[in-house]
Amino acid sequence: MIEFRKVTKRFGANVILDEVDLDIEAGEKVVLIGPSGSGKSTLLRCINALETIQGGDLLVDGMSVRGGRSEVRTIRQEAGMVFQQFNLFPQLTALQNVAFGPRRVRGTPKREALEQARELLAKVGLANRADHYPGELSGGQQQRVAIARALAVRPKVMLFDEPTSALDPELRQEVLQVMQALAEGGMTMIVVTHEIAFARMVGTRLIFMEKGKIAVDGPPAELIDNPANPRLREFLQHVH
Amino acid sequence: MDFSWSVIWDAMPALLAGARLTIYITVVGLLGGLVLGAVAGLFRAFGPAILNAIAFAYVELIRGTPIVVQVMFIYFALPVLAQIRIDPLTAAILAIIINAGAYIAEIVRGALLSVDKGLREAGLALGLPFWKVLVFVIGPIAFRRIIPPLGNQFIVSLKDTSLFIVIGVGELTRQGQEIMAANFRAVEIWTAVAIIYLIMTGTLSFALRVLEKRMRIL
Repeated sequence: MIEFRKVTKRFGANVILDEVDLDIEAGEKVVLIGPSGSGKSTLLRCINALETIQGGDLLVDGMSVRGGRSEVRTIRQEAGMVFQQFNLFPQLTALQNVAFGPRRVRGTPKREALEQARELLAKVGLANRADHYPGELSGGQQQRVAIARALAVRPKVMLFDEPTSALDPELRQEVLQVMQALAEGGMTMIVVTHEIAFARMVGTRLIFMEKGKIAVDGPPAELIDNPANPRLREFLQHVH
Repeated sequence: MDFSWSVIWDAMPALLAGARLTIYITVVGLLGGLVLGAVAGLFRAFGPAILNAIAFAYVELIRGTPIVVQVMFIYFALPVLAQIRIDPLTAAILAIIINAGAYIAEIVRGALLSVDKGLREAGLALGLPFWKVLVFVIGPIAFRRIIPPLGNQFIVSLKDTSLFIVIGVGELTRQGQEIMAANFRAVEIWTAVAIIYLIMTGTLSFALRVLEKRMRIL
């Protein structure tokens, strides 16, 4: 469902992604790890065209990120994104944040959008926080609202960009649990994270990136328990 | 010296007529300035290169010249250049529109750019076109941040109308000047004029503070 074809991304003279080839099928739960600057977040952000690519092609459900504006918008509707800093709209309540996508993107009538939003908030365990503004919620709660907001547009794949990195350790678990439930529900997921335990338990595929290339790609349990690649072994020791 | 209340009492009708004209110039000028400033600020923040450059030139031209020179140019030079006659009141209003517009453009630009880039990305990532992100995400947040500096500009523009004495518009300062020229009661007249300005700017400040309180600044 997602195909990278020799994708190259540069910032000026810096090569961030170096002719990356990658195929991700529907239903996979891909966990991306790697040292900072290895290109994992950039790779994720190329999928929904928040970053433009300079070489190669990237197809999402058959549509190219290098296509026209409306093609890119359709890709974005099919690929929900969760950010490290949550990025909830501060002027809207939790409920309005979740209803925002359906209302403004899909044109869903207000009443229907709010009803759906209520269900989604209940799903992430925040039914009782519907009328709170983001500033009144904890980081973990904000991130769960952000997940519900992305799900509200009914994406086919969910992109998570270090969803727990900005959270205190005791708040991470509530977000990871929501993500795990989502995975168990069959959602296709691509997760940039340092949560190795999550990768091992929920991931169906682990990708280790280094210097803009995919260095290792395989089953999480095997790679984490017996990393053959010396750089991966070193990286895992640092993260643990 | 003897402070004579009757001098103020006698001058009041003329001064209030002047104050009315001051308010009229300010309100119409600021409404126009808001529209012009919003458009120019939007171009400065997110406009294509050409519109951005035009807006930049406009802001720099106006900020770099005194408002007295601007209104003199509109009233005296423009008719010569473009063969159009402009009455003093129109020239005054135009001067406020153009002058306030430039400062408001900078306020709008600053507020738009101060909105966290992550929020823009969050809107785009949902699949919205950029204009909708502007209308539903960036705009509402920027609007709240505009209010305090905008209040400041409103007060500055209100006081700037006093400079239109140079083209003979009968606003408050001009009225004071004319009365004083007839009766030489400088203390009474300028005290009264100052207090009327204070009442107008004070009312404006108060209204803006109420608005600010009712809107949560994000």
